[in-house]
Amino acid sequence: MPVRHRHAMFIARTVLVKNDNVDEAMRMLNRIMGREGLLDQFRRTRYYEKPYQVRRRVNFEKATSVYNEDMGRKIQLVMRKNRLDPYPGCF
Amino acid sequence: MSVASVLGAFRTLRLVDPCTKLVQVQIQPRRWRLKENDRRYLISTTPKVDLGTQGEMIGQIDTARRGDEMYPDADTPKQIFNGIAFSELPICHIKTSKNNTIISVTDYKNQPMVYHSCGLEGFKNARKGTNVAAQAAAISTAKKAITKGIHSVRVKIDGLGPGRMSSVKGLQMAGLKIISVTDSTHVSWCPPRPRKARRL
Repeated sequence: MPVRHRHAMFIARTVLVKNDNVDEAMRMLNRIMGREGLLDQFRRTRYYEKPYQVRRRVNFEKATSVYNEDMGRKIQLVMRKNRLDPYPGCF
Repeated sequence: MSVASVLGAFRTLRLVDPCTKLVQVQIQPRRWRLKENDRRYLISTTPKVDLGTQGEMIGQIDTARRGDEMYPDADTPKQIFNGIAFSELPICHIKTSKNNTIISVTDYKNQPMVYHSCGLEGFKNARKGTNVAAQAAAISTAKKAITKGIHSVRVKIDGLGPGRMSSVKGLQMAGLKIISVTDSTHVSWCPPRPRKARRL
């Protein structure tokens, strides 16, 4: 009996192996899974996370994302290309 | 704090230099043998278990380019690999967990053809949960599959464990041609309450 899947099987979360390079394909798959946060979520749900741990984690994630956003903006400012002085702050 | 109590935290070592016959005094911080610190030290120094997720933390750059065709598209199911359409290739299901790796090969209708695991391979207890066991199990699975006329498979991996990468490697080493690698790990954002957290 055919199994029904919510996502098309062998289309979703699939990497084709090129030139028999299985390691490369596996690393690609792992990277996709890791970057989408699926592996993190999988690891997190192995054991119960207490509410205080959830709060701590969420607050930490919030703080990091705020920091990263600001830092990204700063870096973009420094890396602007159409400025009069190409090396601001340097003599 | 007295001087003695401060000096108590250090340990003096007297070393004799063999050339000059001079005594060198070295001061080293004394290692306090506290239970709490020992446990932390132990946890921090124990090597992390390889769960087959190599490449997970590689930066933000995607090396696959448009010409590479690393990802399947709508036409891939009809594409022919070794004379068989992609959608009708046999499937190798790999279930990896921390303590075991179970491999089964089925045809495209999910009819089982070969079944094998680290336990069946002869590994017992903790040795089942190693990448060596997974690779050995994968090699004998692939050999069985080849005797049944299976030469190319799609691989479907479930779970994180030591056998995640090594079992796929083992399948290839025994001579199976791997067409694609799929992850079918079940990930839920609202799972039923999992078991109590481990206390380390």
